[in-house]
Amino acid sequence: MCVPEASWVPAERLKFVNRFVVERADSCISCGLCASLCPNGVHKRVEGHASILPPYNQRCIGPSCASNDYYCVRRCPTSSLSVRASETFPALGDVRWTADMVLATWRMAETGEPMPLDHPANLGACGGGFDQLHFRIPKGGSKPKDYQFETSVELNRRKTGPRVKIDIPVYGGGMSYGSVSLYTMVARAKAAQAWGTFTCTGEGGYPVELIPYKDHVITQIATGLFGVKEETIQRAPIIEFKYAQGAKPGLGGHLLWEKNTPLVAKMREAVPHTSLFSPFPFHSVYSVEDHKKHLDWISSVNPQALLSVKVSTPNDVEMVAVGSYYAGAHIVHLDGGYGGTGAAPEIAKKNIATPIEYAIPKVHRFLTNEGIREDVTLIASGGIRNALDVAKAIALGADGVVIGTAELVALGCVRCGNCESGRGCPRGIATTDPELIHQMDTEWGAKRISNLFLAWRGQWGDLLSRFDMHDLKELRGRTDLLRFDGGKEVKA
Amino acid sequence: MSQTGEIIRSRGWMAKCETPYCTRQMEAEGGCGVVGLASTVALPGRHFFESLRQMHNRGNGKGGGIAAVGLDPKQMHVSREVLDNDYLIQVAYLDANVREALEKEFLEPRYEIHARYMVDESNDPAVLKDLPVRPPQVWRYFCRARSDVLDRFIADRELRSLEKRRAEDEFVYQTSFSINLKYYASGKMTAFVMSQGRDMIIMKVVGYAEDVIRFYRMEDFTAHAWIGHQRYPTKGRVWHPGGAHPFMGLDEGLVHNGDFANYHSVSEYLAQRNVKPLFLTDTEVSVLLFDVLNRAYGYPLEYIIEALAPTTERDFHQLSEEKQKVYKAIQRAHMHGSPDGPWFFIIARNCYYEGKQQLIGITDTSMLRPQVFAMVEGDIQIGLVASEKQAIDAALRSINADHPSVPKQADVYWNARGGSHTDGGAFVFSIVPENGKKRLEVTNKFGSPVEVKLKYDRPQDLRMATALDRTHSASAIVADGSGEQAFSKFQTALPKMDADQAMAMFATAVQRGSKGGKDLDETVRFLTQVIDRKYDPGTLRRSRLTEKALEALNAIFRAQPRIGSAKDGSSLVDMENMGQIDAPPSQTAKLLIDCRGFPMEGEEGPSFAVRRAFEKGWRHAILFDAHGQRFFGCGLGQASHGMLIEAYGTPGDYLASGLAGASVIVHGNAQDQLCQIMASGRLVVHGDVGQTFMYGAKGGEAFIKGNAAGRPLINAVGKPRVVINGTCLDYLAESFMAGDPLNGGGFVILNGMGFTLNGQPVELPTPYPGGNLFSLASGGAIYVRDPKGKVTADQLNGGRFGKMTEADWNLILPYLKENEALFEIPIEGFLLTVDGERRSPSEVYRKIEAVPMKSMSKAEQELEDTGD
Repeated sequence: MCVPEASWVPAERLKFVNRFVVERADSCISCGLCASLCPNGVHKRVEGHASILPPYNQRCIGPSCASNDYYCVRRCPTSSLSVRASETFPALGDVRWTADMVLATWRMAETGEPMPLDHPANLGACGGGFDQLHFRIPKGGSKPKDYQFETSVELNRRKTGPRVKIDIPVYGGGMSYGSVSLYTMVARAKAAQAWGTFTCTGEGGYPVELIPYKDHVITQIATGLFGVKEETIQRAPIIEFKYAQGAKPGLGGHLLWEKNTPLVAKMREAVPHTSLFSPFPFHSVYSVEDHKKHLDWISSVNPQALLSVKVSTPNDVEMVAVGSYYAGAHIVHLDGGYGGTGAAPEIAKKNIATPIEYAIPKVHRFLTNEGIREDVTLIASGGIRNALDVAKAIALGADGVVIGTAELVALGCVRCGNCESGRGCPRGIATTDPELIHQMDTEWGAKRISNLFLAWRGQWGDLLSRFDMHDLKELRGRTDLLRFDGGKEVKA
Repeated sequence: MSQTGEIIRSRGWMAKCETPYCTRQMEAEGGCGVVGLASTVALPGRHFFESLRQMHNRGNGKGGGIAAVGLDPKQMHVSREVLDNDYLIQVAYLDANVREALEKEFLEPRYEIHARYMVDESNDPAVLKDLPVRPPQVWRYFCRARSDVLDRFIADRELRSLEKRRAEDEFVYQTSFSINLKYYASGKMTAFVMSQGRDMIIMKVVGYAEDVIRFYRMEDFTAHAWIGHQRYPTKGRVWHPGGAHPFMGLDEGLVHNGDFANYHSVSEYLAQRNVKPLFLTDTEVSVLLFDVLNRAYGYPLEYIIEALAPTTERDFHQLSEEKQKVYKAIQRAHMHGSPDGPWFFIIARNCYYEGKQQLIGITDTSMLRPQVFAMVEGDIQIGLVASEKQAIDAALRSINADHPSVPKQADVYWNARGGSHTDGGAFVFSIVPENGKKRLEVTNKFGSPVEVKLKYDRPQDLRMATALDRTHSASAIVADGSGEQAFSKFQTALPKMDADQAMAMFATAVQRGSKGGKDLDETVRFLTQVIDRKYDPGTLRRSRLTEKALEALNAIFRAQPRIGSAKDGSSLVDMENMGQIDAPPSQTAKLLIDCRGFPMEGEEGPSFAVRRAFEKGWRHAILFDAHGQRFFGCGLGQASHGMLIEAYGTPGDYLASGLAGASVIVHGNAQDQLCQIMASGRLVVHGDVGQTFMYGAKGGEAFIKGNAAGRPLINAVGKPRVVINGTCLDYLAESFMAGDPLNGGGFVILNGMGFTLNGQPVELPTPYPGGNLFSLASGGAIYVRDPKGKVTADQLNGGRFGKMTEADWNLILPYLKENEALFEIPIEGFLLTVDGERRSPSEVYRKIEAVPMKSMSKAEQELEDTGD
């Protein structure tokens, strides 16, 4: 594969959100001592400038630096510098997406540089799920610079049909036009194209702006059938049937009236400013033979398309998986309950369905025992936040993962959770408000997502090198490499 | 103590027994294909074969089974007396070595065995090749309980107030439980009781249902009632048929399509009544439920059905006060045992104490599974029920070969409305003895008879029950002239037309039509009208006329030149030469696709023949002799304007789904899931349509002569414009979001009418019987013909009655005119005429519209601002 290069993509609005705040008083004489002292590059003096550049807060290690003899605050001849913990930092994120993780994701999106495997940002603080799982990384060296490794995944593992390979074991989940802005959708598609992978339309139609990226766009068919037409089915290399969403199993998609702007309504051919609720089931599918018929229908429209069946994780998830396979699915996509944007109801996100870390190995083993594991691609999603979550899902038995929130965080999402309201998104990501959306553009967004993938890839390489592996596929099902760290208290 | 209490208490030991295997439901399943028939003449299994085979795509070959009720003593190798009165215990031996021990332990000491033998098996390698696992050896035992053993049982179990014969029933039931407990549920799985009822058997295998008929050599085995089931277990390796349907009660077998959302609640309900499932599928639970209500509670069928599928909401309040009282009591006692859909049961049972056999179809309250009922009248009366109409037609086609008096088309087809006050969501076909013969009684849940009063002349009809051939004399009706002229001559002649004249007419049509060219076009036009139109058939039988017209059409089409050899005009294509479809010889050429040999779906299916034809430039395709093939008209892409597709026979599910431009005409009834996501184009159905018609549609026009089943136009958006002349089961236009109809949006015209058997249009008792109309809709409208104000506000969940303005009438009038042209449903003479008087449109049609949101006007303003 051709690995895209990193580019420097800062976010103007995000640079003020940091762990620490370094302030420089007016008494500064621009002597440049701090710049020569700080090994982290917080201060920078440019020759010819009248004054030293504003501090680069993101790089500061905080007041604990006081133990170092290069501590700028102490050494400043005019006592112009101060360092304190940021007020915004503790307000950022939540136990699943900790402030550290949000910041790290922003940083990776900005630079494309991987985080070290032992960095605290690789783990959340929710005390469950992937936060209780750790790789048993052998002591000793990290990777040589030119370590060669493979991260691609074949999505069609059946004997027949087109081969569809993705270069990284990650593709984008369905987020509809309406739930997110058009810029967000196109940015995701561009990044998917750069990385030889996919993004998904979600259930809100297929905007024409995505057509240039059609080889990298999955058409989703969900229960409301919004925006699904023969042309959108025929255009796509993969069709995703969304039977359920892990964040809210038993509920259909819903777009509250504020977000149903005239443009969104036009795309869905619905009435503007009414809440659009998709039914909880497909009304045409109430059993597995209906399900097969449903898949057969789409094959009769586009026989070349791979079929992906997205389901949540009920207790008998393995039966659902095997049933989907026999009905003709190429991809079985398990969507666990940790995901979902702020628009998914909390009660559903936190109380329904089997945790994904239980569902993946259960299905993996079941399919193996059935003798069909090598004929089906198992994809996991729902709260996959970072490179190590991806690797953990693979070690549990998945072939790859689908992400959503991580991409939004790369675009600057602050996890405020106001996604359901029309003008609620402070970053203009999860909105179709004609003013708010202009906070970003697609080129910038695509590069940030691309950087994130690049950083993740670096982390996978690092991880593989520790295990002396050269292909992420070798990691699949290796639960023996994971350590379960149970019983940790949840920090409120 | 009551009998109910006695029976339940006597089973205490069953509830307490240890069953290591029964920790959880082992084989999850949902789907299936089900079919049943009941006939006044005992019919052999082979007639069932084709319907089962055609429903392969509803199973996966991992379980199939049949039940047969009302058997022939000769083929069972016993006397009539023994067959009628003995329990026919069938044990399936997965391990033949356990038989002696099982017989010694359970059967011989407890029963007088009047006959025992092993069921004949096929050794044909062709049959065995198709079976993934060799089916078990099945032994039949004709038994009565030993008198002393039974007395002891009655004393031990304290069944004091039970009649002795009914106590014997319970004895058999508990003995079979013991056998299954020891030989199956203990984890051994070496043998199990497959059926135990009187005058009935259940047979099942790992494989497809028709494999039962082949393996156990039942092609010529006759019975009055049959049910069959194609199973779709989702777990991969199924090695024994214990989990296949049908499941046994006492004298009944039950097949089931669907699965329960509340399996555990129902199991709990059963456990409280000392009933313990051993096979752990929801189907077993269903039949145990039926048995508890039937034998322990002693309920009549109506109350059993009420306990299974309770009458709810508006329908409940439509019941008489007396009935409400009883039903309320039933619901209170049994609500937790009521299976929460989707489910559809077909039950075949022998009513020993009433001396009749029954076939019963019951749908859940929400009608979430497909279901079609049908009936054939005449010297042989047949009642049928299935998941798809095509399965019914396949059985009739096969029966017709042996019994020409049975037409290939049923006389009537209909759906049940689940949990309703009208039919109760269930129909019962009873075979009752009458003057040494049998008679078919059809009733709904409430016991009200379903009568089809056909007035045709039987001898005439029998004379038409032969193949068309060239020996018939020429008929002036179709000899020349246009199809329309021929049809009007036919209509004029009909009152006096006899069978020979009719046969001559069809034979002449075949001869003329076979010549091709204009003769083909005109005869096809004529025959199509014979099929599509409603008229008084005089002394002839309507279903026979349809059958013969279809037969003539098939013959004409098959006489046309095959693809490649045709110079212009029509070309015939079939399964073999589908690959040769190339550019059409002329712009108007018709492609005739013979569906006979085609598979049901896939790239070899007829839908791909249409697709290929369209891509090569054909603009008119006729699919004939369809028998359930799916996806007609799918995959033509976004610009199929100018394409016309016609279907004869029984086209299958998902027809015209995704349609964007083309026109599709169905000459007869259509099945489920038509016009999903339809964008534009036109559908005309000269009959009924099934479940979820136009789900998620964005546009297009549709004209339906008959009814739509459950959930039509659900989640439809954009601008679909639909005329449904009949009615719907329920949930019409739920979450309808089709804008403002007066401003380019969509609507449904619901005429709430039907036709009498002699072709006269007639108003239905109510245009919309369901309790949910236009629920949660935010756009679009329904124009319902309701001059007597039968539709009430409590049926609307979120909608409201709006003002029927002149603009509304001007909007719908062109559609009603088109409807009149298509189906001969006059606007002036019928739709606007109420009790003989002409009324104004606003007195006849009512508009149901969405309650506008406050934000709407603002939104519209914005839409203009964005340049739309």
